Order: sequence, then C-alpha cells, then structure tokens
Amino acid sequence: MKQVLTLLAALFLVAACTGSTSYVEELPGIYPDYIGVTIPAGIAPLNFNLPEEYDRVFVRVTGSKGGELRVRGKWASFPVKKWQDLTRQNAGGMLSFTVLGRKDGQWTQWRDFILYVSDVPLEDYGITYRKMAPGYTTYSRIGIYQRDLHSFREDAIIESTLTPGQCMGCHTANATSSRQFLFHLRGPHGATYFQKDGEREWVTTKTDSTIGNVAYCYWHPDGRWMAGSINPVRQAFWTGDERTIEVFDLASDLVVMDMEDHSLVVDPRFTTKDYLETSPAFSPDGKTLYFCKAKAFDVPRQVDSVRYDLVRTTFDAATGTLGDIETVIPASAAGKSVSFPRPSYDGRWLMYNQADFSVFPIDHKEADLWLLDLETGETRPLEEVNSDFSESFHNWSSNSRWFLFSSRRADGLYVQVYLSSIDQNGHCTKPFVLPQKNPRKYYHDTLYSFNVPDFTHEKVDFRTSGTYREVFSDERIKATVKP
Amino acid sequence: MDRRYRIALTALFGMAVFSFWMWLFPQALNYQEQNQLFLFTRDYFSQRLVLPGGLADWLSEALVQLFYVRWAGALVLALLLVGLQLGVWKAAGKKRFLYAPSFIPSLLMLVYMGDVEVLVSYPVALLLAVALCPLFEKAQWHRLWLIPLGWWLVGPVVAVPVLLSVLRGRKWADWACLAWLAVTFFVEYRLLAAQYPLRDALFGLNYYRLVESLPALQPIIPAATLLCILLCGWKVQLRSPLAVETALAAVLAAGTWGGVKLAYDKDTFEVLAYDWLIRNENYQQVLSRAQRFQPRNAVSACSVNFCLFTQGQLESRLTEFYQCGTEGLVLPSIRDNLSDITSAELLWMMGMPNITLQYCFDLQESIQNGRKSGRFMKRIAECNIVNGWYDRAVKYLDMLEHSLFYRQWAREQKALIRDEAQVAAHPVYAYIRSVRFQEDFITNYNKLDLMMAILYNQNKNNFMAADYYSAWQRLSEREEGE
Repeated sequence: MKQVLTLLAALFLVAACTGSTSYVEELPGIYPDYIGVTIPAGIAPLNFNLPEEYDRVFVRVTGSKGGELRVRGKWASFPVKKWQDLTRQNAGGMLSFTVLGRKDGQWTQWRDFILYVSDVPLEDYGITYRKMAPGYTTYSRIGIYQRDLHSFREDAIIESTLTPGQCMGCHTANATSSRQFLFHLRGPHGATYFQKDGEREWVTTKTDSTIGNVAYCYWHPDGRWMAGSINPVRQAFWTGDERTIEVFDLASDLVVMDMEDHSLVVDPRFTTKDYLETSPAFSPDGKTLYFCKAKAFDVPRQVDSVRYDLVRTTFDAATGTLGDIETVIPASAAGKSVSFPRPSYDGRWLMYNQADFSVFPIDHKEADLWLLDLETGETRPLEEVNSDFSESFHNWSSNSRWFLFSSRRADGLYVQVYLSSIDQNGHCTKPFVLPQKNPRKYYHDTLYSFNVPDFTHEKVDFRTSGTYREVFSDERIKATVKP
Repeated sequence: MDRRYRIALTALFGMAVFSFWMWLFPQALNYQEQNQLFLFTRDYFSQRLVLPGGLADWLSEALVQLFYVRWAGALVLALLLVGLQLGVWKAAGKKRFLYAPSFIPSLLMLVYMGDVEVLVSYPVALLLAVALCPLFEKAQWHRLWLIPLGWWLVGPVVAVPVLLSVLRGRKWADWACLAWLAVTFFVEYRLLAAQYPLRDALFGLNYYRLVESLPALQPIIPAATLLCILLCGWKVQLRSPLAVETALAAVLAAGTWGGVKLAYDKDTFEVLAYDWLIRNENYQQVLSRAQRFQPRNAVSACSVNFCLFTQGQLESRLTEFYQCGTEGLVLPSIRDNLSDITSAELLWMMGMPNITLQYCFDLQESIQNGRKSGRFMKRIAECNIVNGWYDRAVKYLDMLEHSLFYRQWAREQKALIRDEAQVAAHPVYAYIRSVRFQEDFITNYNKLDLMMAILYNQNKNNFMAADYYSAWQRLSEREEGE
C-alpha cells in the first residue's frame, strides 16, 4: 500500500512538474542570494525561498562528484544530514540546483544555478554573536548567543534577563578558542567577565589612572595578556534622510592587562589626550600590536574630522612593554578612517574597515572591508564581498581560510552575518548569509541585529547558575596599574 | 446565603469594576495596550509558551489588545475579576457558607492594579489556577503530570490548587505533592528559564512588567486567595447570615476604596490620562483636566504645552499652567516607556522625524519585559516612510499586519509605499517632508531652539516651530530670571 501511495505521489509530482511547466532562461530570484557562493562542506543547509507569490517549490540538487537531493515544499528546506553528506561528497566540486516554482497553479523552471563546495574545511563548531535591536540608547532584550554552523541550533550563552539592568558587551574569545573568553557587563553592577578553562572572574578594569573600563579587547595568543581600549562612547544623531546615528569616543586610550595579577600596563604614549587610540589586535606571533589612532577633535561638533590611521607597535610578552608606534596605513591623509584591524591567525592577512571618518563603521553606509597583505604591504578593498551598505565587524576562522563579517546590505539597518572564504592569493569568494531554517521568515521577522560575530572553535560552556548572585554581589577583582 | 442575593452581589461587583475602568481610570487601559503588540502568529504563540506561565501570558495579551477599545477593555477586566471571584467561590467546594470572602482576591487585585506595571497575565494566571482547584482535588495521582503542566502554562500561581488539595487531603500522598511541586519548579527553571534569576522564576516571569521588582502584593494575593477559598468553606453558625454578609461586603468595599486611594497615584494616573487623551487627539480635555489639577513634573508640562499649541494658545496661556523651564516644552531623551511620548509626537509634527524615530525606538525598547508596542511601531514605520527607507518600513508594517487593530492601517501603508508618487502626495508624509531639515547635520539637544529657528527659516509655513521657538525663549528668560 505504502509503495502504491509513493508511486502515485511520484506520478503526481512528475505530472505537476512536467505537464504545464514553463521554462525561463533566467536564474531564479531566490532569497537569500546563494547563487554562485562557495560553502564549506558540512555546513548547515542553505535553505532558500522563492518570491512570495510562489506557493510551492521543487528543488533537485546534483553533486558534480555524485549524489542527489530532492526537496519540495513552501520553501527549499533540505534535511540536515543528507545535505551535509552531499556537501562532503562534493568537497572541491560543485552542486547544481534545478529549481521549479508554482505560482497560480502554473509551474516555472528556471535556469539551473551552481554552488561551489570548498575543499578547505571550516573546522570550527560555530559562531558567537550578540543580538540586540539596532537602536539608539536603550535596549529591552540583549544577549550573547552561539550558533552551530553545522545545524540551525542556536543557544544563549547569556541573556540580559539573567542580569537585569545591565547592558551586555561583546564576547571576545582568544583566537576562536572557547577555553578563554571575556565579555563586559555595563551598568550599576558592571564588570568584565573572564573565563579560562572554566575558572570565572569578575573584574573591574577601571582604575584611578585610567579614564574608564576597557571596551574593545583582544587576547594575546599566550593568554596572559589582553589589550584593550578604553572608550567613553557617545552617540549623536543626524537630521537628514541618509543616516541616523553617529557613534564616537569622547576620548580613548590603549592599555594592556596582565591577567596573572590583573594589572594594567598604562603607557603615557598610548593614553594621550590629543590622540585617540582604539581597536587593538595582536599579531598571531604576539610580537606586534595593531591598533587605530586618530587626532582628537571637538566632538560631536567636528565628528566628521576624526579619521583613524592603522598603526602598530612591538610588544614584549615577557614584560608587557610596548615599543615605538609605526604607521601601517595612513588613511587619514587620504581622507579615510580605519577601524577594527583583525590579523588572520596564520599571519598572512590583516582585514580592516575603511570609512570616510569615525571609528564605528556600522553606521557608515560607505564603510567597506579592506585586506592588507602582510607579506607585501599591499592593501585593497574586498570588492568581492563589499556592498553599497555598511560592512563592519569581521573575524577569521581558526584556520584563517574563512572569515565572517557584519553587513547591513539586506535593508540598510538590520545587521546580518555573512561568510566567505579566502584563497592563498587573497581572492575571496562571493559571501553567503548565515543559513537559517526558513531564511526569509527569520530575517524579515527578526527585530535583532547580529553584533560582533566571531568563530568559536568549540561550543562555549558558560554556567548561568550563580551568575545573578555573582553580578549583584558586586564582589570584584579590582585591576591595578602596573608599576 | 440566598442565590439571588449572591447573583445580585456579583453583578453589582461586575458593574462597579466595569465603571471603575470605563470612567475612573480608562488611561490605565491605554497604557497596558500600548506596551504590547499581540500578533496572530504561531511564532508569537510559541515565543510565549517557551517560558513558565506562557499560556496565561499569551491569553492575557490576546485580551489586552482589546483595550484599544475602551469599553472592551473595561469589560474584559470586569469579567476577569468577576471570574476570579466566582472561581474562588466554586473552589470552596459544595459546602460553602460565607460568600463575601470570595470577593477578597478580586478586590486585592483591583488595588494591586493601581500599579500600572502589573500585567493582566497575573489575574489571568490566578483565575486559571483557581479554576484548576476542583480538578486538582479530584486528580489524585494525576497531579504528577498536572503540576508540571500547570506550572508551565500558568506559572507559580499553580501552587494555589496544589496547596489547596494538600490542605484538604492531608494524606501522605498529598504532602508528597509539595515535594513534587519543588522538583517541578527546579526542573522547569533549568529547562525553560535558566536565563532568568531564580527569584523571578519563583514569583512569576510574566506577572509584572518591571525587572528587579517584586511588589509585596504579588505573593500575598495567591496566599490570600487560598485563605479565602478555605474561609468560604468555613462552617460557621450565624444568626443572621444576610446581615453578616452585608456587613462584610460593606467592610470590603470600604477597604477597597481606601486601598484604591492609596495605590492609585494621582500624579501618575494624571500623566497617563494626558497621554491617552493626546493619543486620541482630545487636546481640549487635557487643558480642562490641567485647570483642575496638574502634576508638577516635566512630562505633564510637556503634554499641557503641546495641547496649548494645538489650540493656538501656547503664547497666550503659557504662564497659566505649571512650567519647569524649556524641559517642559520638549523633554530630553529619557529611558522609560512613557515620558517622551508627547515630545516624540510634537517633534514629528514640527519636522524632526529622526528625533521622533529615536524617541519612539527608545520608548519601545524601554518596555522592560521586552514587548513591542503597536503605537510606537506605527510611528517608527511612519518615520521610515518619511525618510524613504521603505525596506525597513515594510518590516514593521508586516509585523503590524498580524495585529488586530493596526492591520488595516499597515495594509494601507504597504499599498502606499509601492508608489513613490502616492507617498509624495500623502498629506502627512508630504507635510513632514516639506517642513523637515533640508540639510544633514548633527542634532544638538542643548540648542533645540536654534533647530526650531532653522526649521522656521527654511519653511515659513512651519508655524509650530515658530510658536515653540517663542515659547522656548520666554521660558529661558523666565528660568534666567529665577
């Protein structure tokens, strides 16, 4: 009986798909645009939707190295296991998609499209990000989450409901490792949370000699040191219809923290009033510290004059001392501003943002990703991945062959996470948005932006029990200044 | 007590509650409605159900959306409180004696709701819990699954039927239910609410809007409900039951009157009333109320001044009302879900859609239980339309399309923005576009008067900017004089 029913269903489908199917020599208008992207084998299925007027979709995926997958439904939704098997079977090859859509009872078949499966693996468990409304000065819900890249599973690491009244800063892991990470809480019971091998610490990083708590942080590869910039951040608002918010720092200084005794290296050359220092990042060998530096102006009045250069200094991991400052990219001289330098973990590249001014590219439509070749010193905009909207925060996978970045390209406001791969010559593939079970519904319905995404090599283990008590007890380790 | 008398007393109570919300405090209905956005979607339902107490929360939000219509809101609350009273009476069992105590939980609830942050999910959950009492008493071993299910659906008030069945049964199996209740709580806490503080989960995650707060009445009312159920079933020999019941009812009415007097803060409800009246464009009524009594705070001053402007009286009657400097004209950005509403409204009309967008976004994000707002989202969508950001506007309009009272409006706007010519010809959008800033610069909140001057100078039809500028100068001079 079951076989007869299956046969009847197959006959019905064939009839439906062939009897009155019209063929158009165009690519299907799928959402998200996955046409021609390159994916890692084993990633979560790249489900997609046809335009809303199509009530049914039929998709056949054929691998260049074998294997086939057929799905039908309201949108293209692939079974996770079968999809992963197919992509693994076709690593280094491609997948061909035959798509049929039904509108008003009529089926249409479009030109097949291709999706490439990279032979370079993405070895990380997933990604972490903060979700919050892309708003102004207030938030109702905010949280740090981790998403398994091999399925659709998302878990909360910590949500603001657990620590009411405290704003939540971003999760910063040591080179994608879940063994060592930090995040900030801001508010009356604020602190920076450090976790290393399961050991927890709540630290107040503000001292009498510094202008506030550390904000933008980056771990030294050996885990003993953490560089951080101290940024009293403010917002201003534009009156026109091109942009809304301008984020700026009233001041900003750079310090390095010794995690062994929670002391800060405060070097006067990096804490001047006349200059702003921010966004530190260590090179993978730990000997160089990259950061952004700009001449200070009267803000917000002269906010459009604040332009950051990419600079670097040497770092001695034995003593925590910083060397002389050397300019790497004199962007300000060209009327541009650099932010968020991120060296790849293999030491080959450095990715950064460039905008017309300011240090917060997320609110700058013109902000793009740029790539600096650390071997040749050449730098170029990543035209393969940039869009007409803001590209902002970015990070590397643990093997440095994949990267992710935030972009507002969907609607100009809500930030989504995109992934792309890079080859030995620095060529990047067409990026794809983080897959979702029902992408259009998910991305259209969400009122959250994905902030500060990063890869995580393993699943982050954060214990929620006891957190409320620890936060509201105000028992803190107080950072000191290294003599 | 005679059945007719009981019916009469309950009907009288229902009418009193209806009148209470309909004519005495309708502004509270408006406040509740504008701090949530109920959507007819499966996702919305499942989002509620992932937390303990989720069904009660979902049901209450479905009811609160009706508060958009004043009489419907009053009727819903009257039915809820009457239902709670009848539930208590029914839970007392077949042998019931005293009727008046069955009103106590509802009356306490009425007093408690003088705190406008009490969510309607609280009386809904309690009503459901009380309705479960007869079932729990008969359930025997079925309580093993009824307790976890009950906690999941209505939250910690499920302790009421559990405790009642224990107190009435008093067998070892009944006492074991208490241990099972504790196990249920910890298991459900870890599974469903691990991202909440333990205390919040213990006293209800969705009974009260504000975080970090636990009003004393919140645990007291369920305890009082339990006692009242037992009290109603207390066999007492009375010479004149009618007289005793009448006396009890009178004492309860007097106590409630006193409680309402204490719990309903006059200033808060007056500010809420201004907001409700402004939302409905009853500007003259705001001025009439303010002539009788005006709270001495910047929010009320801002509302009254705005209404003066709408009546063309900002210049002539400015000094007749309470003033607190220029803050009383336009409030700075305040992180709560009420203060900036009038400022957002007037800045929208004046031609500052970006500040309106900021204010409305922050107002919505200031709803501490993380709910959205139909009223604020509507204005956010309008600001996006004025700016020509249609992709973003559609996101909000699609959401509003799943609501009951904003659906039609959302559909109209979606149809409108498909054609730029129609947007350009729309009376509101076209007007805001004509009076807004023609240049892009950073807003200076300390120099809003100068920004008003810019608006007026670039469009002499923007008489609102001119009126507010003049008022600003007068109030500044007055402040300096003081």
